[in-house]
Amino acid sequence: MVHIFNFKDKYYAYDSGSGSLHECDEQTAVYVKAKYETSEPIPELSPEKIAEIENGVKELGKQGLLFKEEIKVFPVKSSEVKALCLHICHDCNLRCRYCFADEGAYHSEREFMSLQTAQKAIDFLIKESGNRKILEVDFFGGEPLMCLETIKKVVSYARSEGEKTGKKFLFTTTTNALLLDDDAIDFFNREMENVVLSLDGRKEVHDAIRKTKNGKGSFDYVIDNIKKFVRSRGDKNYYVRGTFTSKNLDFSKDVIFLAENGFDSISMEPVVTEIDDLAIKEEHLPVILGEYEELCDKYLEKYKEGKGFNFFHFNIDLEGGVCLQKRVSACGAGNEYFSVVPNGDIYPCHQFAGDKDFLMGNVYDGSLNEDIRQKFATTCLFTRDGCENCFAKFICSGGCAANNYHFCGDINKPYPITCEMMKKRIECGMHALAVKKENKN
Amino acid sequence: MFKTIAKPQKRKVTGCGECRSTCQSACKTSCTVGNQSCERITREQNPEKIK
Repeated sequence: MVHIFNFKDKYYAYDSGSGSLHECDEQTAVYVKAKYETSEPIPELSPEKIAEIENGVKELGKQGLLFKEEIKVFPVKSSEVKALCLHICHDCNLRCRYCFADEGAYHSEREFMSLQTAQKAIDFLIKESGNRKILEVDFFGGEPLMCLETIKKVVSYARSEGEKTGKKFLFTTTTNALLLDDDAIDFFNREMENVVLSLDGRKEVHDAIRKTKNGKGSFDYVIDNIKKFVRSRGDKNYYVRGTFTSKNLDFSKDVIFLAENGFDSISMEPVVTEIDDLAIKEEHLPVILGEYEELCDKYLEKYKEGKGFNFFHFNIDLEGGVCLQKRVSACGAGNEYFSVVPNGDIYPCHQFAGDKDFLMGNVYDGSLNEDIRQKFATTCLFTRDGCENCFAKFICSGGCAANNYHFCGDINKPYPITCEMMKKRIECGMHALAVKKENKN
Repeated sequence: MFKTIAKPQKRKVTGCGECRSTCQSACKTSCTVGNQSCERITREQNPEKIK
């Protein structure tokens, strides 16, 4: 299918069958959309213009770059496990109102994972990884830096076991940076492939939600730690990751605030919560979609000034990227990726942790509930309601199973609000790609 | 009038399963494959990066 869209006065045709993006003029866009994509009346154009458009369509069609038939392929999913999200502790030194993890406790006791349990999780991952050589472990919480010494031992254990078994581990830690001291920075720079640092943007926005146990805003406690870490990071991966809520629908200001504070790898995510005064609702969508456009303009301004930064959701790789199998496979939760909580219980991903309906097993006996695993292994782009007719499908891969379940009651029912935001981010990402290419030429 | 901005490279590896898990990225809530790269091709192009 061809998706015709515009970003202000720029018009584009994205061909989902081939994955190609073309820029065109407004008349061409309106004509192609009316003739080939909708039942809208075809605009009156001069015969010369119509001939030019039809020739263009024909030529690109011949090259397989427009109206290319989509391949409907159901993924062949391996039973090899690639990655674990290790909930190294279910406790946190902050009390953020929007926390999906119940301010770190996951609706249960506050607890820490023992070294023995963490090692069992590593053993489980190695055993279930089959022939796969590169394995990923994400230290998650609560707040992982409350358990830095355990993390160090787990990393050392995994490296040692990896050497014996021919596996290479890539580690990530997600942290609020409150305890990010020189020791942690040094360790992260040595051992972590990626570090995700939570910072919501402007001080007043961050402090309104991300509070200490004493109810004070945490911005002043974390900002210098994060700056110091980023300065020390060199060319290794990191993301400063914020969350926006209905309280800061002008979140482009927060992204730019982060960029102007020297962070060049940024992600800003819509909150996942049912808390009424923070939740993103349908009525917020027009403002949010406009805000993504505003962000895209500001992002490109920075790029043109030579102060460009990486915004996670505007990175659309249309030239390289993953293969079709991966694009239709959905996120991999519950099949190639699991989360392990402090007592060793296994869940499909961090967002299902603590939900007994999704308890899959435990690392101590290595068990995995095959019914639940099958449910996740068989989900893919083409089992998800409405995805087949969406232009964004090969880029979003059907969205987040947990969001689908929590908002729509089924991992195969995409949450429409998330879909709308995703589609807008993709359009912005494509526009950004076009502008950057134009600037290079 | 069309101007092609981007088209996929011809070089493709399909279904080897060596790509990174989608959820091991920045967001943890809005997973997407659109900004992931093919691990196999990345490794072939940068043999020192991932041994």
